[in-house]
Amino acid sequence: MSAEYRESSPLTPTEQAIRRRKRVGCLAWIVLLVLIVLFVRSCFRGDERQATEEAHFKYGSIGSDIDNGLPIALLNVLPKMFPEHLPAGTQHLGDLRSFGFIVEPGMELPIGFSIRHQGIRLAGLNCGSCHTGVVRDVATSPGKQILGMPANQLRLQEFFGFLFNCVSDPRFSVDAVLQEMRQHGHRFLPGEETLYRQVVIPQFRGQLLLRSLQIGPIFAEEHPSWGAGRVDTFNPYKYIQFSEYYRDGVPLDERIGTSDFPSLWNQGIREGMELHWDGNNASVFERNLSASFGAGATRDSVDLASIERIQKWMADLPPPRFEDYFGWKIDTEKAARGRTIYQTYCFDCHDPNGKQVGTVDDLADVKTSPYRLNSYTEELARLQLAYGQGYSWQWKHFKKTTGYANMPLDGIWARAPYLHNGSVPTMWDLLTRQEERSKEPFFRGHGVIDPERLGIQTDVEFYGPQNFPAWKFVVFDKTSQSYVPGNANQGHTGERYGTELSDEEKWDLIEFLKTL
Amino acid sequence: MKKAKQTTDPAHEENRDAIFEPMTFKGSGLKVGNRLFRSNLSGMFDDYCGHGGNARLNWEESFARHGVGCVISSYTPITPEGRILTRYAMIDNNDKIGFWREVAKRVQAHNALTIKKKEYPCRFIMQLSHSGRQQDLSGFENQYRTPGSSTNKKDFFHGILCHAMDKAEIRKTVKQFGEAARRAQRAGLDGVELHGANGYLITQFLSSAINDRKDEYGGSVENRARFVLEIVDSIKDKTEGEFHLQMKINAADYNDWLYPWQKRGNELEDTIRICKLLEDAGVHAFHISSGSTFPHPRNPPGDLPTNELLRWYDGMISQGVRAGFNYKIFGNRVTAWLFQKLWRWRRGTVIEGINSELAGEIKKQTDLPVIVTGGFQHADKIASGLRGELYDGVSIGRPLIANRDLPEILFHQNGPEEGKECTYCNRCLVNDLENPLGCYEIARYEGDSLEKKWSNLVKSVNSVFEPPTFPSGKDDLMPDETGPSDDDDEGSDDDEHEDDGEGQAS
Repeated sequence: MSAEYRESSPLTPTEQAIRRRKRVGCLAWIVLLVLIVLFVRSCFRGDERQATEEAHFKYGSIGSDIDNGLPIALLNVLPKMFPEHLPAGTQHLGDLRSFGFIVEPGMELPIGFSIRHQGIRLAGLNCGSCHTGVVRDVATSPGKQILGMPANQLRLQEFFGFLFNCVSDPRFSVDAVLQEMRQHGHRFLPGEETLYRQVVIPQFRGQLLLRSLQIGPIFAEEHPSWGAGRVDTFNPYKYIQFSEYYRDGVPLDERIGTSDFPSLWNQGIREGMELHWDGNNASVFERNLSASFGAGATRDSVDLASIERIQKWMADLPPPRFEDYFGWKIDTEKAARGRTIYQTYCFDCHDPNGKQVGTVDDLADVKTSPYRLNSYTEELARLQLAYGQGYSWQWKHFKKTTGYANMPLDGIWARAPYLHNGSVPTMWDLLTRQEERSKEPFFRGHGVIDPERLGIQTDVEFYGPQNFPAWKFVVFDKTSQSYVPGNANQGHTGERYGTELSDEEKWDLIEFLKTL
Repeated sequence: MKKAKQTTDPAHEENRDAIFEPMTFKGSGLKVGNRLFRSNLSGMFDDYCGHGGNARLNWEESFARHGVGCVISSYTPITPEGRILTRYAMIDNNDKIGFWREVAKRVQAHNALTIKKKEYPCRFIMQLSHSGRQQDLSGFENQYRTPGSSTNKKDFFHGILCHAMDKAEIRKTVKQFGEAARRAQRAGLDGVELHGANGYLITQFLSSAINDRKDEYGGSVENRARFVLEIVDSIKDKTEGEFHLQMKINAADYNDWLYPWQKRGNELEDTIRICKLLEDAGVHAFHISSGSTFPHPRNPPGDLPTNELLRWYDGMISQGVRAGFNYKIFGNRVTAWLFQKLWRWRRGTVIEGINSELAGEIKKQTDLPVIVTGGFQHADKIASGLRGELYDGVSIGRPLIANRDLPEILFHQNGPEEGKECTYCNRCLVNDLENPLGCYEIARYEGDSLEKKWSNLVKSVNSVFEPPTFPSGKDDLMPDETGPSDDDDEGSDDDEHEDDGEGQAS
């Protein structure tokens, strides 16, 4: 239509209004379409990207929230449905804090959980869960969080056990879970309830029941508990990733591999050192990748870029300074004397510049508990090397060793208790001859630092404003008059290890170790 | 007076006596021979510019011929701006008086059917109307202006735009009503009726759901009634003596029939207060309806056939901003089905006498005669309300379209024969948008095939044009040399103009 014709037949008010409505309608449809697209994309937007490196460490995804992602709605309601399955004495918390996870104000999930939007919201563990700790000066203190510190408060085994118990509980049913979700204010979007009913809850239950069956032997009562701050790193591999190979079971002598979470700071200087407690891999990246599979990532879901981002950040992450937290001071004179002792006794094996640092000290020399070493076998190394075939990240460095690796002592004050199995609560105890070390149980997981003996206090049964129960670490079984398998506080003893030093020398050395 | 056979059924005799008893409007002195009023039925029969035509004369006379007591005119615009459809005879100018004088002459020449020996000429009351925003097909004259209303809000059904009238427009409109009444009186009509029901301009002022004015014409009942009271004053001023003046009004608005979020509008109590104000102002009777829109599930009560709407509503698409949406609703089988369900649900189960109880309340609360509309076509239903003093007369629309001889039927028996009753299908209403007004319910027509039935339907509907404006002479009607004309086929009937649309009922 020409302009002239339009002018000779102007639009009527109604036509103008209809045209305006059509324009508004078109715009509304476009806006609606965009909103729908945005909404759908938001529902399937994947993981929540974090702006800072620290936030990424705490809440970023490493790919564990895809194949093995846990529906967040269920994580929220299960502690309320089955409080009796929570760790004893933590029922009053009624959420994931019961397992020692740290919840920051304003955050929906604790540190160590990433969120993925995949139609429903899924959670997955990341590095922050096992490597964020809390230190306290007194038991009632709320504590101070340190990123990269071993999560001594975390009860990972009890967390998984709780999930297994929930889905095995006869009261667990789709209807009951949905009812609980509704009661706790979950507002279902159209079709969402059906999705939960038909897919999410049955799949969640099936997956966990399968996992429960797979790693059941590790959770057997006769096995010493992981407790707080510890994990069996490699046995789950045998039961899950390599279940086919171990279809006849895992030999008894390699079934216990419990060890402390390590610290994650200063990873740059550790590149090339033999990593893991037994030094079975000298690549920081491979070690990190292996840990991500332990957290729930799979060969296909693992987020390599995310892991590299964390690795880059960890490379220069400084260890926490002893004097920065509670006003504690280091006696510089004593520390100066201690430096000399350190140079003599510790430097070679534990200083970043030491000749032996990052190498494996043979079990015959260090004589610490052999269980962790024995849990990692030639077969497992072979399986791991084959596991990544065809993937860009294929492992090349896993190997079987004969002892435990010497590690730098940076931030050692925040890494107690000591030895790979966390059996020695303080540095003073570690500098004590093994036969003189206490065989009495002690409490760990509370994070209350013993600034004198350098380590953790041993008698803190409850801690924090929530009166959270600490975990009782049993070193020695008085009934059988033997060390609890994997928990022996033996080894690292003798002149070479400083246990023959005078008390004064030991105190000087400890004062110096505070400076690291 | 029409001669009627005496009935032998005592029960019907009682009903007949009630219905065909003459009545007198006290205030105006208007006498009507029975209680049957032809309700205002329009039909696009006239000249485009509003001059009445021959078909209108035929139309109005056809009802008088069969004995109704009074014919209330078709919706008669007082100004072209107040049209609802085109081709309705108007009363906007003195040049229309001549036509209406002829209408009065034709109608009043017939007598009402009555039980009295005295003759009562059929009365003719003109319905003075203004569409306000309810302007379905505005015509080209209104193409570049929006109709005046009490509000700037478009109507929620068709989405017809409007503007809130300013004081000058109100004054002008009030005066137009007065002038229209003066013309009606000068034309020799028996009275006028203000159309203040069913969503037209006066309703738009009266209804609390529509009127959102902040000035003295909005807010309280008294303020909302100010416009119509000024009209009444103007009519009183412009007419001589106690010229009969009645008010058609909604007993209640039920304005939320389509969208529940719309206000309900006036309730019965509001209407009673308005009626008392009108009574004080000198109105002589009330004509009770309900429903703040037209159509409305309650008016005319029945169905709203979406297949017919799909055929004839298309002209509305350019008239209202929501009409296109409605058309899509009517055109989709699912939404059309849902619409019909909603329509029936909002109407309720009662059709015949749907407004009777409401009218009864108004009659009880005022001292004026009350006429009520609502699907009447059975003597027992009509008579029971008369005896129960719910109303003084009934106005009938669609049943009279279906059976023009309904007064005679009601005189002799309770109602039309089975199969000949008005089915309340409202096809007449929908067809009126593009076709001559008539009964389009094919099931009512004789014939053993669709063609035959349809042929009878066409004859019946087109009977309004008979006799034509310029009848042919007898010689002209002889078959020509080339053989019979198309009109001489099996279904034609040269005498149909004498039947006045009764062909379908015979």
